[in-house]
Amino acid sequence: MSDLDRQIEQLKRCEPLKESEVKALCLKAMEILVEESNVQRVDAPVTICGDIHGQFYDMKELFKVGGDCPKTNYLFLGDFVDRGFYSVETFLLLLALKVRYPDRITLIRGNHESRQITQVYGFYDECLRKYGSVNVWRYCTDIFDYLSLSALIENKIFCVHGGLSPSINTLDQIRTIDRKQEVPHDGAMCDLMWSDPEDIVDGWGLSPRGAGFLFGGTVVTTFNHANNIDYICRAHQLVMEGYKWMFNSQIVTVWSAPNYCYRCGNVAAILELDENLNKQFRVFDAAPQESRGAPAKKPPPDYFL
Amino acid sequence: MEFEVDEKELKASGAEPLPDGRRGLRLHGWEIESLKRPILNSRQLQEWEQKLQTSHFPEMVFGDSSLVLKHMSSGTKIHFNAFDALTGWKQEALPPVEVPAAAIWKFKTESIQQVILDYDYTFTTPYCGTESKEINAELGRGATSEEANGSLCWEECKEEIDVASLALKEPILFYDEVILYEDELGDNGISLLTAKVRVMPSSWFVLLRFWLRVDGVLMRLRDTRMHCVFGKSTNPIILRESCWREATFKALSAKGYPSDSAAYNDPSIISQRLPVIMHKTHKLELPVKP
Repeated sequence: MSDLDRQIEQLKRCEPLKESEVKALCLKAMEILVEESNVQRVDAPVTICGDIHGQFYDMKELFKVGGDCPKTNYLFLGDFVDRGFYSVETFLLLLALKVRYPDRITLIRGNHESRQITQVYGFYDECLRKYGSVNVWRYCTDIFDYLSLSALIENKIFCVHGGLSPSINTLDQIRTIDRKQEVPHDGAMCDLMWSDPEDIVDGWGLSPRGAGFLFGGTVVTTFNHANNIDYICRAHQLVMEGYKWMFNSQIVTVWSAPNYCYRCGNVAAILELDENLNKQFRVFDAAPQESRGAPAKKPPPDYFL
Repeated sequence: MEFEVDEKELKASGAEPLPDGRRGLRLHGWEIESLKRPILNSRQLQEWEQKLQTSHFPEMVFGDSSLVLKHMSSGTKIHFNAFDALTGWKQEALPPVEVPAAAIWKFKTESIQQVILDYDYTFTTPYCGTESKEINAELGRGATSEEANGSLCWEECKEEIDVASLALKEPILFYDEVILYEDELGDNGISLLTAKVRVMPSSWFVLLRFWLRVDGVLMRLRDTRMHCVFGKSTNPIILRESCWREATFKALSAKGYPSDSAAYNDPSIISQRLPVIMHKTHKLELPVKP
C-alpha cells in the first residue's frame, strides 16, 4: 500500500495527518490544481455535492449514499471547511482523494476557502487546536488559492459555488480571471463565490448589507442562453429539503450538510447525473449519533445570569 | 444534548417531569416546557411569508420550537417563539447596517443597474416574550381559547431581579436552551435569538437574548430576563428586566479593546464592554383564583 493510500485510509477514520504529511500532500495537490481551468471540464456521469462545512461524519454518509470515489465521479462545489467540528479531516480527505484520483474528483472553491473567512468561522482555530500551530492552516489556505472557480459538465451544466456576476456574460470571461489569490472583496471572482439567486428581483439586486449581488430570473435566462447551457447548479445556501429549483428549472441549489451546524434538522442532497445527463437527487440524513466517535458530553448545569 | 437531573432532587422539591417524553416539568403550579424542532421547511416558510407579509426570513427559523411557562391555575402563559419575535422585527423595521465592503461596492457598482434591497437583514427585534391567558384554564389542555394580552398588564417598577439569589448554586431541576432563529448574515457575522431557562427549587429564571454581530461594524445585545420566585401565600409575581446594549467596533477599538470579530464570539463574555442604551424593569402580578 502506498503512503497516499494509507493516508486516505487514515483520514477515512477521521484521524488527521501529520503536519509534514499535510505539507507534502498540499505540494502534490498544487501541481494538479494549477493545471485546471477556471471553468474545469467535467464528464458525465458525475455526482454533484454542495456545502460540507467540516461535518466529516455526514460526508461519510454522503459517500455511503453516492458510492466511493473513484468508483463514483464527484464534483464538490466548495465550502469544505468552517462551522463543523472536522474541517481538517474533511478537507484533507477530499484533497488526498484529488491527488490519488485526479480525474475522478473535482473540487471547486467556495467563499469559505479563504484566509479571512476561516479565521472567523472555525477552520483557523481548529488547525491551531489540533496541531498547536497555524502551519497546517497556512498550507491549506495556500492550496485554496489554486482551486478552480467553476465547472462545466458536458458543456451543458454550469456549476459554481455562489452564482453569477454582472461583470460576466460568457464562460470565456471566467477563463481569463487570474484566480491564484485570496478571494477578493468585489469583482467577478468574488461574485462567483458569494452571489445568490433571488425571487423578488428580476435583474440584478444589491444585498441590504451593501455588498453582495442578488440575481433574478432574467439574468439566469440570458446567461444560460448566451452560453448554451441547460441550467446552473450551485450551492452556498441552506435549503431544508436538500435541493431547490428556481426560475423555472434554470438554476438549482444543492446543499450537502445534513442537520447543519448539528442543530437545524435539515436533510441534505447530492445530484447524480448519468451519462445522458439524466438527473437524480439523492436525499440523505445526518449520521447517527453513535457513528460519530466520541459520544456527546452532557453539558453541566449552566448558572447563566 | 440533554441535561440530566438528579431524580432525588426533583422529588425533594415536589417537581414532576412532564410525561410522554416532553421536555420540562411541573412545579409549584407552573408547567414549564421547551420544544425543540427542526427549522421550517419551504412550505411552512411560504405560509409565514403570507402571514407576516414579507419574503425575508432568517436562514434558520426554528418556527416550531418554543419555550412555554404556564401558570396552571390562572391559565397565564408566558411563551417565547420565533413568529412573535419576527412580527416585532417587522414592526421595528430598522434601516440596514452596511458592512465594511459596502463603501468600495458603492463606488465600483455604480454603473450596474440594480435594485437595492433595504430591509433589516439583521432581524433585530424588540421582542421580550409573549403572554396570553387561557380563559378556560381549568378545562385543561383541550382549551385553546386565548385572550390577547388585554387582561395581562406589565407595570413598570423599581424592583430589580435578585441576582445574588440567582448566583447561589441551588440545584437546577430543569435547564434548556431553545434557538428561535439564527442567520449568518451571509458570513458577515451572526444574528441569533435564543431563550434559556433554568428552574430551581425556589424560582424559575429565563434569559431571552438577541445577539447581533456585524463583523467590523457593530454588536447589539438585547437581553430580557424574567424571574419568578415561588411563594406559598402571595400571588405569583414575575419580574422582567430588559437591557439593551450596543457598540460599534470603532468605539470598542477606541477604548483599546480588540477589534477582530473572532474576539467576540461569546456575548456572555464581552457583554460588559458594550454600553447599555436601554434598561427597563416591569412586573406582572398573576391573578390567583379565589
